[in-house]
Order: sequence, then structure tokens, then C-alpha cells
Amino acid sequence: MAKSIADDSAGTSTPAVPDKTVTHKPAAVLIVGAGFAGLGMAIRLQQAGINDIVILERSTEVGGTWRDNQYPGAACDIPSNLYSYSFAQNPDWSRSFSGSREILGYIHHLVKEFGLDRYIRFGKNVEQLEFDERKGLWSATTSQGEVFSGRSAVMAQGPLSNASFPDMPGIEQYKGHKIHSARWDHGYDFRGKKVAVIGTGASAIQIIPELVKEVEHLTVFQRTPGWVMPRPDFETPEWNKEIFRKLPFTQSVLRQALYLAHESMALAVIWSSPLTRIAERVGRWHLHSQVKDRWMRRQLTPNYRIGCKRVLISNDYYPALQKPNCKLITWPIYTLCENGIRSVEGIEHQFDCIVFATGFEVSKAGSPFPVIGVGGRQLNDDWSRGAQAYKSINVAGYPNLFFTFGPNSGPGHNSALVYMESQLDYAVRGIRKILGENLKMLDVKPHVQKQYNEGIQKRLAKTNWNSGCMSWYLTEDGFNATMYPGFATQYANQMKEFRDKDYLLVPG
Amino acid sequence: MAMIDLDKMLEKVKATQWALADIDWDAPGAEMITEEQWPKLKDFMVDLMWIEHVGARGFAAMAKKAPTETLRQIYSYFHAEEQRHANAEMALMKRWGMLEDGELPEPNINLRLVIEWLDRYADEMPYYVLGTVIPMLEIALDGALCTFLLETVDDPVCHQAFEKINDDESRHLGVGFTVMEMQGHNKTTIQMVKTMAPMLDPRLMLGIAAYFPLLNKMRDNVVKMGLPEEKLYAAMKKFKKIGGRTAEGRRNPWYQLIQHHGAIMVNRANRFYHVPVDAAVKATGMIPRRMLPAVPSWVKELTWEPTA
Repeated sequence: MAKSIADDSAGTSTPAVPDKTVTHKPAAVLIVGAGFAGLGMAIRLQQAGINDIVILERSTEVGGTWRDNQYPGAACDIPSNLYSYSFAQNPDWSRSFSGSREILGYIHHLVKEFGLDRYIRFGKNVEQLEFDERKGLWSATTSQGEVFSGRSAVMAQGPLSNASFPDMPGIEQYKGHKIHSARWDHGYDFRGKKVAVIGTGASAIQIIPELVKEVEHLTVFQRTPGWVMPRPDFETPEWNKEIFRKLPFTQSVLRQALYLAHESMALAVIWSSPLTRIAERVGRWHLHSQVKDRWMRRQLTPNYRIGCKRVLISNDYYPALQKPNCKLITWPIYTLCENGIRSVEGIEHQFDCIVFATGFEVSKAGSPFPVIGVGGRQLNDDWSRGAQAYKSINVAGYPNLFFTFGPNSGPGHNSALVYMESQLDYAVRGIRKILGENLKMLDVKPHVQKQYNEGIQKRLAKTNWNSGCMSWYLTEDGFNATMYPGFATQYANQMKEFRDKDYLLVPG
Repeated sequence: MAMIDLDKMLEKVKATQWALADIDWDAPGAEMITEEQWPKLKDFMVDLMWIEHVGARGFAAMAKKAPTETLRQIYSYFHAEEQRHANAEMALMKRWGMLEDGELPEPNINLRLVIEWLDRYADEMPYYVLGTVIPMLEIALDGALCTFLLETVDDPVCHQAFEKINDDESRHLGVGFTVMEMQGHNKTTIQMVKTMAPMLDPRLMLGIAAYFPLLNKMRDNVVKMGLPEEKLYAAMKKFKKIGGRTAEGRRNPWYQLIQHHGAIMVNRANRFYHVPVDAAVKATGMIPRRMLPAVPSWVKELTWEPTA
């Protein structure tokens, strides 16, 4: 499913009218979400000797994005040896780029291996998170009316966890079957059906090659073509797994090599450099070698600098588009109608089913539920002009609260879990301080946060993400609250140091 | 024509879309085409439809070169809208019994050459060249061909379709002239002269070699159909008048060049121009079709069927 950003919980929320409030005993740490981030946080806390943890998960299963994104072809586009935790390596990855089921299996393995079940409360959909400055406690109210609290809280709900049908004209008139890529309908039989896929992003390019094998006819609606690079995917031989099992350091060496290789890609993807031109040349070569028709190549040629949007990787996307039962449409869609899609060339394209591979609601300007900080301040208000945090993890006015995948922590070139590990370790340091020194509040100083963000925005201005294309990295006003403008190593270095002087410390 | 707000124009374009399915192509009125009209009308419609399609490809090239995101989106819509016009015109031909199932009418050889040129070189042409040539073709289409068609044909479905087509075309012209003026705005003389440099580009020369005979051929075809030549010429004068109504518009050297060419084209007495160009029309008419490469795949996307 092509996430280099892992995220957490989703699933169905079933708000219920609370009949009475159930308040639980405060924990040391309250974590929202049991995906990669939330579970990783629990592991690192446990390893640091902190075991009084509660994880609130709105679904009935762990896994976050990888639980939700089970569409045909769903896989990671970062090699598995890098898209996994360094403190929990898996010698048994079956392929260099594993599918979502295998990644979900790895997440289940983490739960078992580290005994995380005891912390998780399933079916708890957080509707509000509020800080009580008198007690120094965060309280999470769930849709069932229960209140869970903690001396510190970790937002691990995931930036890509909320999937919904896009706000397209006429969508409510369409009478056929609708499927969102992140909520796949496994019961739907595609055989003999006329199907449309709207979108050609990271999820779509994985779905299309699989769907085209099954359906009678597939029509792909593209708005903006992306840069598609070759995918060096292969099966891991048994002997290789055996070596990893017997000599774990060899897997660490491979991981380090992969890490450095991805780091070098920053020079092509994040900033405009001669390597950017080379990467674009590789992309064009890939297109040229797989697509013979000049017009189709033109339709598939991106009109923006590589890196400005997410770089896609696939070997079978272009061939799938050229199958006899597949058609690429680049005319703008102007409305959906009862039987399908009307595009501007005046034709009504009729379908039995439309697959929306249109992405997620990325929380760029707020959180998915109200977060109330000191003095009743609301995170959505504070972030209304673009999300900001200190080192992506703390926000002034919201003491003892730690964000995973917070503002400006997204990588464009490396594994999100590499960034995640730095965040987890930083949060552990902060939480240890709160608990060890019995602090009521550990709150980043506003001017420190401001200064940090000024630096970030200054650096972002020089990156490819801010070079003019429209992407989900940017808000509608063009503000980039998503990506980190630097190498993963730079990010890790800034997270290594926890400076007390950057924080306001209020003893308990 | 005053400069228009392009952001508002984009919103308007998005809000005023229509589909072939909005028109009842089987409604009564097709019988109003007379037997005498039928063969000439067929030739006329084929030319008209191909010119729309060629215009569509021109807008596709403009979208690649657009200096702003708003213009890029506008041109992407215009590209599709011109395709819609060609599709609607094919639907009319189908209604009038001029098309067999699955038939794509053959473009005349001059259009065929222009299609070939567009496919190979349109994306390489500077924005300001396309930005001036396209309004010229649009105005000829809008001001002369479509008007003439509506004066000649009584079929109400044809009028219904062209009411929609003309609404689209008026927006295309509004943007076209605004862009021509933008190109003449705040430019030094040196900068303006520099925009003429592509004249020496052999690819553009090839384009001109395809474009001049096409205009003369079109003139011959519409005259054969009964369109008074003056109507075509009046449309070209309209281009001169609207394009040159502001100082910025007049400063655009490509506007000057194209309106001068228009003036030469309408002057039948200019033998220095018309003798060689008419000869080129004849010469191109002798090119065997099998010598031409296969039509590009974008041509095959045309359809008269309202649903797919």
C-alpha cells in the first residue's frame, strides 16, 4: 500500500451514548493508537523500565494502516529490512518489499514477542484528550464515555488513518458499488465487472496491476502523473534468511547499507541537485522502456520536479495500463452520476464499481479529535494556520504530550520507522523525566518552538516539496507542515539531545 | 476584450460543464437536412470536427507550457472541451447518417499533416506562439464556420449542441485574448524581439508549411459549401480588432505577425502568397496516404457515443 509513513489505529468507530462515566485509575503513560507507533512506544517504554502503560485502540485489532490497507497488491515501498524496528529485526521477510499482510504479521509478532496485549484496550475510540493542569494529568474520553488518564500521553493515532470518500461533485448520486482503497471490500466479486480506479498515487499503482487481472474492464482516471521508478523487488532466498537467523549482525549490516543508500537519495529527492536530474532521467527511461506509445508516454510524464510529490515505485503499473482490458483517462472528471463518471470530453463512463484510491485526510491543520491543553486552548485553533511543534514531538501549551509523526517529521526518501525510532527514544527521555522528577508539567517554551519552526520553514523553502507542485504535503495555502527538510541522520541527531532548558518544568 | 480574472474563469469553466448525454440525439429534426445539403454538409462537418480536434491537441501543448497553475488547469479543461466539441460534432454526423458504427472520418490531407506536426512538435513550441495561433483558429471557427452552420442547418438538435459549444468557445476566446495581452505586458522591445527567434526553428517552419495550405484548403472547402468567403475574412478581421484593442495586445509581435498573415490571406489579389500556397494545397493533395505514418493514438480517442 505504499506507505513510508506508518500510522495507527482506524477501523470503525461506533459512538455510543454514554449512560454513565467510567473513570479508570491514571496510568503513567497513555498511548492513543496501537499501530507501529503506539506499539513501538510501548516497547521502548517497557525496555526503559516503564510498565504502567495504557494503549487505547479504536479497532478490535492492532496494526493501524497495515490492518486497514489490505487491498490487492498492498505492499510497502521501503525495503522491509529498513521498514521495521532496529530493536526487533525480522530475519524471515519473504521479499525485499513485503506485502501488507506480512507487515501486519510482523506487527502481531511485536505484540506477542514483547507481551504488549496487557496494555491494549480495544474498541476505545478517543473522542477528546484534555489536560488537567491542576493534577498534571491527560484524560482521554472515549465514545463509550469511559475516561482513561495518564501522567503523560502519546499521540500515536497516525497521520494517514482517516480514510473517506473524496468530496467530488455527484458522489452521492452514484448508485454503483464504491470502495475506498484503505477500507477494501473483500467480499466484492470483481469478475466480469466494469471498474474504475480514481487516482494514480501510491495505493492506486499497486491496486491497478492486481485488479486488471480480475475485472472485465478497468478504467483508470489520472489527474497528475507521478514519477514512477523501477522496484528492485525479489524473493529472499532461504539461505539468506538462515544467515540472518544465525548471524544477526549481517542483517544489521544490510539495514545500515539500505539506510545509507536511502540517505543518498535525499540529494535527489529533497533538494534540486545534479542527482535530481539523474533520478528524473531514470524515471523517464523506465517510462520509455515500458510504454511504447508516444501519446501514452506523454500522458504519463510528470510535469513537476521529482521529489515534489511522493516518488512511486513499480514494475507492473505501466504494463497493467497497457493491457487490452485497461484504459487510462486523463480528461478531468467533472461529476459522478448515477451510472458512473462524466469527464470533460463529454462522455459518461459507466461502471459497476468505482475504487477511490484518493488518499487520506492527512492531519495538517489539526488532530482527528479535540486536544485541549493548558487554559482550555485547543490544538485545532493553535494549528489552524498550519501545524507546528518543537522537533515534531512537543507543542507549547500541551505539556507532557508527545506526538509521533508530528508536524514536519515526514521523510521523502527514507523509512518512516527510522524517524519513528528517534521520536520514541526522545519521548522515553521526556517521560522518564516527568516520572523520575515527579513533574506536573514538562512544557516546551513557546519561543523555542517558534525559533525551531522558523528554521524549519526557512530550510523547507529550498526543497523540492515547495517547488510549485500541489501535494498532500502542503496545506491549501502552500504551508508545509508535513515534511522534515533534511537527512534522516540530521533528524536523528536533533532528537538525540533532550535539552532541559528548552522546557518549562513545573514540579508536582 | 478586457483582461479577465483567470481564477474566476477557471471556476466558471468548472461550473459550466456538460456531456453528450445531456442531448437527446434521437430527437426529431434530423430529417430537416436536405438531400442536396447532405454531401457538402458531411465534408464540412468532417473538417469542422478535425479542426476542433487539432485545437484540442494545441491546448494540450499549452497546458504543458502554461506559466501558472491556474492557466495549466484552464488549458487542461479546454483540451478536453475541444475534444467534447469534436465528439458532439461526430454525434451530429452519426445522427445525420454520415457515420457507420465504429467509423472515424478521414481528415483531409492538410489536416492530416497538421496532426502529424502537432504530434511531433507541438509540445516543443513556445507558449506565446501557440497562444496566438490558437485564438486565430478559434475565431475563424467560432466567427465563421459555426455561425454559418447554424444559418444553414435547421435541425434543432444541431442548434442545441452548438449553443453549448459556442458558450465554451467564447470562454476559450476570452482566455486566449487575455493571454495574448499578458504576453505584451511589461516587456522590453528586446524581449519582444527575442520572442520572434523561434521563427528560425525548423520545426516551426515545418508547422508553417502545414498551416498555410490548411487555411487555404479550408477556405476552398467552406466556399464549396456555400459560405461566403467574406465571412471567413470578417472573422480574421475580428481577430485583428480584438487582439489589437489594447497597447499590450498590439505589442505582442506574434499577434502582429499573425494578423498581418490574416490580412494577406484574405487578399486574393496577393498572388505572391496565394499562388505558392494554392500550389502547395494541390501538391499535398497528391501525397499518397500510405506514405504517411500511422495516426497518433490520441486521434483514436474520438467517439460519437455519449456513454462508454
